[in-house]
Amino acid sequence: MTTGKPVNMEPPPAEADKPEDRDAMDKPVTQRREVRLGREVQARIGQQLRAMYDDVVKEGVPQHIGDLVRRLSEQDDGAE
Amino acid sequence: MKLDPAIRDQVLAAVPSLRAFAISLCGHVDRADDLVQETLLRALAHIDSFEPGTNMPAWLFTILRNLFRSEYRKRRREVEDADGRYAETLKSHPEQTGRVEFTEFRAALAKLPSDQREALILVGASGFSYEEAAAICGCAVGTIKSRVNRARTRLADLLAIDSVDDFGPDRPTRAVLAGSGRS
Repeated sequence: MTTGKPVNMEPPPAEADKPEDRDAMDKPVTQRREVRLGREVQARIGQQLRAMYDDVVKEGVPQHIGDLVRRLSEQDDGAE
Repeated sequence: MKLDPAIRDQVLAAVPSLRAFAISLCGHVDRADDLVQETLLRALAHIDSFEPGTNMPAWLFTILRNLFRSEYRKRRREVEDADGRYAETLKSHPEQTGRVEFTEFRAALAKLPSDQREALILVGASGFSYEEAAAICGCAVGTIKSRVNRARTRLADLLAIDSVDDFGPDRPTRAVLAGSGRS
Protein backbone atom coordinates (compact mmCIF):
# COMPACT_ATOMS: atom_id res chain seq x y z
CA MET A 1 0.00 0.00 0.00
CA THR A 2 0.70 3.60 0.75
CA THR A 3 2.90 6.38 -0.41
CA GLY A 4 5.28 5.46 -3.20
CA LYS A 5 2.84 3.09 -4.88
CA PRO A 6 0.58 4.21 -7.67
CA VAL A 7 -2.91 4.78 -6.46
CA ASN A 8 -5.82 2.99 -8.02
CA MET A 9 -8.35 5.56 -9.13
CA GLU A 10 -9.47 3.58 -12.15
CA PRO A 11 -13.08 2.60 -12.02
CA PRO A 12 -13.43 -1.13 -11.59
CA PRO A 13 -13.79 -3.11 -14.80
CA ALA A 14 -17.19 -3.70 -16.38
CA GLU A 15 -18.17 -0.15 -15.67
CA ALA A 16 -21.02 1.45 -17.51
CA ASP A 17 -19.15 4.67 -18.29
CA LYS A 18 -16.55 2.96 -20.48
CA PRO A 19 -18.72 2.39 -23.54
CA GLU A 20 -20.28 5.77 -22.94
CA ASP A 21 -16.85 7.36 -23.20
CA ARG A 22 -16.03 5.45 -26.34
CA ASP A 23 -18.99 6.62 -28.38
CA ALA A 24 -18.97 10.08 -26.87
CA MET A 25 -18.09 11.59 -30.26
CA ASP A 26 -21.31 10.30 -31.82
CA LYS A 27 -23.40 12.16 -29.31
CA PRO A 28 -24.86 15.65 -29.51
CA VAL A 29 -22.55 18.43 -28.37
CA THR A 30 -24.18 18.92 -24.96
CA GLN A 31 -23.81 15.26 -24.06
CA ARG A 32 -20.28 15.17 -25.35
CA ARG A 33 -19.47 18.12 -23.17
CA GLU A 34 -21.01 16.37 -20.22
CA VAL A 35 -18.83 13.31 -20.74
CA ARG A 36 -15.72 15.45 -21.01
CA LEU A 37 -16.78 17.33 -17.91
CA GLY A 38 -17.34 14.06 -16.09
CA ARG A 39 -13.83 12.96 -16.92
CA GLU A 40 -12.29 16.24 -15.84
CA VAL A 41 -14.20 16.13 -12.60
CA GLN A 42 -13.12 12.53 -11.98
CA ALA A 43 -9.49 13.44 -12.57
CA ARG A 44 -9.85 16.34 -10.17
CA ILE A 45 -11.49 14.14 -7.56
CA GLY A 46 -8.61 11.66 -7.68
CA GLN A 47 -6.03 14.43 -7.52
CA GLN A 48 -7.67 16.29 -4.64
CA LEU A 49 -8.28 13.12 -2.68
CA ARG A 50 -4.61 12.18 -2.89
CA ALA A 51 -3.40 15.72 -2.24
CA MET A 52 -5.55 15.98 0.86
CA TYR A 53 -4.44 12.58 2.12
CA ASP A 54 -0.77 13.14 1.32
CA ASP A 55 -0.86 16.42 3.19
CA VAL A 56 -1.31 14.39 6.36
CA VAL A 57 1.05 11.59 5.30
CA LYS A 58 3.80 14.19 4.79
CA GLU A 59 3.54 15.15 8.45
CA GLY A 60 5.11 11.78 9.21
CA VAL A 61 4.88 10.21 12.65
CA PRO A 62 3.93 12.69 15.38
CA GLN A 63 6.45 12.69 18.22
CA HIS A 64 4.04 11.41 20.88
CA ILE A 65 2.90 8.52 18.70
CA GLY A 66 6.45 7.53 17.82
CA ASP A 67 7.37 7.64 21.51
CA LEU A 68 4.38 5.50 22.39
CA VAL A 69 5.28 2.81 19.87
CA ARG A 70 8.94 2.76 20.95
CA ARG A 71 8.01 2.61 24.62
CA LEU A 72 5.51 -0.20 24.12
CA SER A 73 7.89 -2.19 21.98
CA GLU A 74 10.61 -2.04 24.63
CA GLN A 75 8.34 -3.05 27.42
CA ASP A 76 7.92 -6.59 28.65
CA ASP A 77 4.33 -7.44 27.86
CA GLY A 78 4.18 -10.49 30.09
CA ALA A 79 3.08 -12.72 27.24
CA GLU A 80 5.36 -15.17 25.57
CA MET B 1 9.09 -10.45 25.30
CA LYS B 2 10.32 -7.40 23.44
CA LEU B 3 8.95 -6.53 20.09
CA ASP B 4 11.02 -7.46 17.05
CA PRO B 5 12.49 -4.13 15.82
CA ALA B 6 11.58 -5.06 12.24
CA ILE B 7 7.93 -5.39 13.25
CA ARG B 8 8.13 -2.16 15.23
CA ASP B 9 9.49 -0.37 12.15
CA GLN B 10 6.67 -1.76 10.02
CA VAL B 11 4.19 -0.38 12.53
CA LEU B 12 5.89 3.03 12.55
CA ALA B 13 6.04 3.10 8.77
CA ALA B 14 2.28 2.62 8.57
CA VAL B 15 1.49 5.44 11.04
CA PRO B 16 1.40 8.41 8.62
CA SER B 17 -1.10 6.75 6.31
CA LEU B 18 -3.06 5.35 9.25
CA ARG B 19 -3.40 8.90 10.58
CA ALA B 20 -4.54 10.24 7.23
CA PHE B 21 -7.19 7.52 7.13
CA ALA B 22 -8.25 8.25 10.71
CA ILE B 23 -8.61 11.96 9.94
CA SER B 24 -10.72 11.15 6.93
CA LEU B 25 -12.98 8.99 9.09
CA CYS B 26 -13.30 11.41 12.03
CA GLY B 27 -12.91 14.74 10.29
CA HIS B 28 -10.97 15.95 13.30
CA VAL B 29 -7.23 15.76 13.94
CA ASP B 30 -7.32 15.37 17.74
CA ARG B 31 -9.92 12.65 17.71
CA ALA B 32 -8.07 10.93 14.87
CA ASP B 33 -4.82 10.93 16.86
CA ASP B 34 -6.64 9.37 19.82
CA LEU B 35 -7.99 6.73 17.49
CA VAL B 36 -4.53 6.04 16.09
CA GLN B 37 -3.08 5.72 19.60
CA GLU B 38 -5.82 3.36 20.65
CA THR B 39 -5.24 1.33 17.49
CA LEU B 40 -1.52 1.06 18.19
CA LEU B 41 -2.09 0.09 21.83
CA ARG B 42 -4.43 -2.64 20.75
CA ALA B 43 -2.21 -3.79 17.88
CA LEU B 44 0.90 -4.04 20.03
CA ALA B 45 -1.01 -5.85 22.78
CA HIS B 46 -2.10 -8.42 20.20
CA ILE B 47 0.98 -8.41 18.04
CA ASP B 48 1.12 -12.23 18.33
CA SER B 49 -1.93 -12.42 16.12
CA PHE B 50 -0.08 -10.59 13.35
CA GLU B 51 1.47 -13.04 10.93
CA PRO B 52 4.93 -11.77 9.96
CA GLY B 53 5.23 -11.32 6.23
CA THR B 54 1.58 -10.41 5.79
CA ASN B 55 0.24 -6.94 5.15
CA MET B 56 0.97 -4.78 8.22
CA PRO B 57 -0.80 -1.64 6.99
CA ALA B 58 -3.95 -3.62 6.14
CA TRP B 59 -3.86 -5.24 9.58
CA LEU B 60 -3.58 -1.87 11.34
CA PHE B 61 -6.24 -0.25 9.14
CA THR B 62 -8.62 -3.11 9.98
CA ILE B 63 -8.10 -2.58 13.71
CA LEU B 64 -8.55 1.17 13.39
CA ARG B 65 -11.69 0.83 11.32
CA ASN B 66 -13.22 -1.66 13.76
CA LEU B 67 -12.41 0.60 16.71
CA PHE B 68 -13.93 3.55 14.93
CA ARG B 69 -17.05 1.58 14.08
CA SER B 70 -17.56 0.21 17.58
CA GLU B 71 -16.96 3.62 19.10
CA TYR B 72 -19.44 5.03 16.64
CA ARG B 73 -22.06 2.44 17.64
CA LYS B 74 -21.37 2.96 21.33
CA ARG B 75 -21.73 6.71 21.12
CA ARG B 76 -24.53 6.61 18.67
CA ARG B 77 -26.55 9.20 20.51
CA GLU B 78 -23.66 11.53 20.88
CA VAL B 79 -22.55 11.27 17.30
CA GLU B 80 -26.10 10.64 16.13
CA ASP B 81 -25.47 12.39 12.91
CA ALA B 82 -21.82 11.74 12.40
CA ASP B 83 -21.84 13.07 8.88
CA GLY B 84 -23.58 16.24 9.94
CA ARG B 85 -21.09 16.77 12.74
CA TYR B 86 -18.29 16.05 10.39
CA ALA B 87 -19.58 18.72 8.05
CA GLU B 88 -20.06 21.07 10.99
CA THR B 89 -16.45 20.56 12.10
CA LEU B 90 -15.31 21.49 8.63
CA LYS B 91 -17.40 24.59 8.55
CA SER B 92 -16.33 25.95 11.88
CA HIS B 93 -12.70 24.83 11.93
CA PRO B 94 -11.44 24.22 8.43
CA GLU B 95 -7.90 24.53 9.76
CA GLN B 96 -8.47 21.51 11.99
CA THR B 97 -8.42 19.21 9.03
CA GLY B 98 -5.84 20.79 6.80
CA ARG B 99 -5.37 23.35 4.12
CA VAL B 100 -8.19 25.70 3.28
CA GLU B 101 -7.94 25.01 -0.46
CA PHE B 102 -9.45 21.58 0.13
CA THR B 103 -12.49 23.00 1.90
CA GLU B 104 -14.88 22.59 -1.00
CA PHE B 105 -13.65 19.09 -1.65
CA ARG B 106 -13.90 18.11 2.01
CA ALA B 107 -17.40 19.48 2.23
CA ALA B 108 -18.40 17.31 -0.73
CA LEU B 109 -16.62 14.30 0.78
CA ALA B 110 -18.48 14.90 4.04
CA LYS B 111 -21.79 14.53 2.23
CA LEU B 112 -21.05 10.93 1.28
CA PRO B 113 -22.36 8.07 3.39
CA SER B 114 -19.49 6.90 5.61
CA ASP B 115 -19.16 3.47 3.97
CA GLN B 116 -18.70 5.09 0.56
CA ARG B 117 -16.27 7.65 1.90
CA GLU B 118 -14.12 5.03 3.56
CA ALA B 119 -14.10 2.79 0.45
CA LEU B 120 -13.10 5.70 -1.78
CA ILE B 121 -10.29 6.73 0.55
CA LEU B 122 -8.89 3.23 1.00
CA VAL B 123 -8.76 2.63 -2.74
CA GLY B 124 -8.23 6.15 -4.07
CA ALA B 125 -5.86 7.62 -1.49
CA SER B 126 -4.41 4.91 0.76
CA GLY B 127 -3.54 2.87 -2.31
CA PHE B 128 -5.08 -0.44 -1.25
CA SER B 129 -6.35 -2.84 -3.88
CA TYR B 130 -10.07 -3.53 -4.05
CA GLU B 131 -9.34 -6.91 -2.47
CA GLU B 132 -7.39 -5.37 0.43
CA ALA B 133 -10.05 -2.72 0.98
CA ALA B 134 -12.70 -5.46 1.05
CA ALA B 135 -10.71 -7.37 3.68
CA ILE B 136 -10.30 -4.20 5.77
CA CYS B 137 -14.01 -3.43 5.62
CA GLY B 138 -15.08 -7.04 6.04
CA CYS B 139 -17.20 -7.10 2.90
CA ALA B 140 -17.18 -8.50 -0.62
CA VAL B 141 -14.92 -7.06 -3.31
CA GLY B 142 -18.00 -6.25 -5.39
CA THR B 143 -19.40 -4.23 -2.52
CA ILE B 144 -16.23 -2.13 -2.35
CA LYS B 145 -16.30 -1.59 -6.11
CA SER B 146 -19.87 -0.40 -6.05
CA ARG B 147 -19.23 1.86 -3.03
CA VAL B 148 -16.23 3.43 -4.77
CA ASN B 149 -18.26 3.96 -7.92
CA ARG B 150 -21.15 5.51 -6.11
CA ALA B 151 -18.76 7.74 -4.16
CA ARG B 152 -17.05 8.95 -7.33
CA THR B 153 -20.33 9.58 -9.11
CA ARG B 154 -21.80 11.45 -6.18
CA LEU B 155 -18.65 13.54 -5.70
CA ALA B 156 -18.59 14.35 -9.39
CA ASP B 157 -22.19 15.53 -9.17
CA LEU B 158 -21.52 17.62 -6.09
CA LEU B 159 -18.36 19.20 -7.46
CA ALA B 160 -19.63 19.67 -11.03
CA ILE B 161 -22.81 21.33 -9.88
CA ASP B 162 -20.90 23.60 -7.57
CA SER B 163 -18.22 24.65 -10.03
CA VAL B 164 -19.92 24.74 -13.42
CA ASP B 165 -22.34 27.62 -13.90
CA ASP B 166 -22.98 27.11 -17.58
CA PHE B 167 -24.90 23.95 -16.99
CA GLY B 168 -28.13 25.64 -17.92
CA PRO B 169 -31.19 23.47 -18.43
CA ASP B 170 -29.19 20.30 -17.86
CA ARG B 171 -28.81 21.06 -14.22
CA PRO B 172 -32.30 20.14 -12.94
CA THR B 173 -32.15 16.98 -15.03
CA ARG B 174 -28.83 16.07 -13.50
CA ALA B 175 -30.13 16.76 -10.03
CA VAL B 176 -33.08 14.47 -10.63
CA LEU B 177 -30.82 11.77 -12.04
CA ALA B 178 -28.44 12.14 -9.12
CA GLY B 179 -31.25 11.70 -6.67
CA SER B 180 -32.73 8.55 -8.16
CA GLY B 181 -31.74 5.21 -9.54
CA ARG B 182 -28.76 4.66 -7.29
CA SER B 183 -29.45 2.77 -4.15
